[in-house]
Amino acid sequence: MSAADVRQVAGSDLRRTARAVQEAALRWLSRNRAHFLLGDGALAPDGRVNDSWKPLGELAQVCSTLCARTPPSDPVHSCARELLAFAWRETGEGALFLPLQRGEPFATYPLEVYAAFASAGLRHPGYERAAATVAATRGWRLTEQHPTRRLGVLCAERQIGLHRDDHESELLARTWLGGLPEPWTFERASGYALTHVVFHLTDWGRGGPGLPAAVADHLAHWSPAWLVTCLEAGLWDLACEVAAVAALVPTARTDAAFEAALGETWPRIARAQYTSGALCEVDTRMPQAAPSQEAVPRDEGAPGPDGHGFRTCYHSTLMAAFAAGLTLARWDGVCDEPSPSWMTTGVPG
Amino acid sequence: MKQSGASALLQGAVQDLASGVASALRGGGRTSREDLHATVRSTSDLDLAAARVLGADLLLPAVLDGTAPTGPEVDLARRAFDAYPPPVTAAPTVAWSHWALGHTLRRVGAPSGPVPEPGPEPDASWLTGAPWPSLTHHLAVLAPLALPGQDCAVARLARGRTLDVARGFVRAIRRRDWYQAAGAGRWLAVLPDVPHTLGLPSGLDFVELMGGGDARVLLQVRAARLIGSGVSV
Repeated sequence: MSAADVRQVAGSDLRRTARAVQEAALRWLSRNRAHFLLGDGALAPDGRVNDSWKPLGELAQVCSTLCARTPPSDPVHSCARELLAFAWRETGEGALFLPLQRGEPFATYPLEVYAAFASAGLRHPGYERAAATVAATRGWRLTEQHPTRRLGVLCAERQIGLHRDDHESELLARTWLGGLPEPWTFERASGYALTHVVFHLTDWGRGGPGLPAAVADHLAHWSPAWLVTCLEAGLWDLACEVAAVAALVPTARTDAAFEAALGETWPRIARAQYTSGALCEVDTRMPQAAPSQEAVPRDEGAPGPDGHGFRTCYHSTLMAAFAAGLTLARWDGVCDEPSPSWMTTGVPG
Repeated sequence: MKQSGASALLQGAVQDLASGVASALRGGGRTSREDLHATVRSTSDLDLAAARVLGADLLLPAVLDGTAPTGPEVDLARRAFDAYPPPVTAAPTVAWSHWALGHTLRRVGAPSGPVPEPGPEPDASWLTGAPWPSLTHHLAVLAPLALPGQDCAVARLARGRTLDVARGFVRAIRRRDWYQAAGAGRWLAVLPDVPHTLGLPSGLDFVELMGGGDARVLLQVRAARLIGSGVSV
């Protein structure tokens, strides 16, 4: 299927819908950006990383990709750049990564969060020297990790120019996706594992070593079924991640049903999205365990006083903006063309 | 209440009959139809309705075995064919199911008595271009048409959409719709170029493990295995 065919499948209505989902999600993220602030305990020895550095890193990761996948003239680019700049300032323009690393020298998350900024051209030479010192040890390289996690660390190291001898193909073969599993064994945990393998191999949709042919074929065959069943189950967060993965499958290996599944994702996500732009992780009307409907009021979508609404929505809202950006880039043919200059110059300012 | 009670009785009769067919398909080699003979000897209206629900699969052991069906099998199938002609307003799957029963009766022949005329193939254009989830749903209902060498419009259409049916098989398992999964699995046993990454044999085992308590599921899984083992009809 040619890029023109893909664009034909992705009719203008679907394109407008995906774009509207993305813009609404970014508006909600911008309005609620104060919830991404690290807080006083971010450098504490017992700091709650999942409530501080993790959300900030995810914001940076998504915005870095959106900046790379849109031209500077696009309002989405401007919005993502502003959010990225906000997040970078929150890290003291990279300076906070130094005390963070001193607290846990062999923890990988500081490097992984930093790498999201570095991939957008936001760098702190002092931290990179410190990270390189630790990464040069045998102990760092021998850290025992699941292969999907290891691929994530390799992805992060790649962003700051560190390379090691790990064979990504061998690591990949030990992941759920890389082992080419029977597609009907897909469940939530394996779904999140597979999406992250793809994100790590593609530098979150910005490049990277890419997908080996067998993995790309596997995704081309089966991601429509995974995507549709996630949508049918109201697993909005995972559905957005799988949609992002599908958008990264090389176009030449796909078919009309594949493109239709990706396109039809957007009206369904649009219906699930609150008018505020927030998207819950799961459909609360579905039988699986889910946060309460009251967590985010449908009409305003603003987080409650305790921030609970933010926690249940921020990741899926980020993933909606991310997946929509990759889908639109696919439809625009950006994925198939040489990187224009705005994809490699990073984030200005 | 009365209707749901009747429905439950019919479901029970379908299960009994399907169980007889599934037992006859057990083993993977030549079929043994002792269990089936016990169930097809029933003659109530309920059994006739159950036979119509099961359709052409009532004769599946004979078809896959390559031997002539017994008198009671043919008698029940023929009476079910005659008793439930599809109205002109019937859903396409109902018309096709009825045609499949008549076609199979003609195919296996009858020990005695006239062979019914199945009539021309119903229209299949409604399936053309169907999205893969609904295509798989309809094909699963029409699983009795999934036989090696079957030449009809539905089978020809399915042969051009292997990947779509394979995706539907995945979706059905994800939805825990074991009946649809088993029917799709049976189609995949006769379709060309099934991606090996699907893992159809272990998928059928999984469907039986999870949904094999339903005799209709068991019937389709065993049919798929027999067909997949290369049985020629």
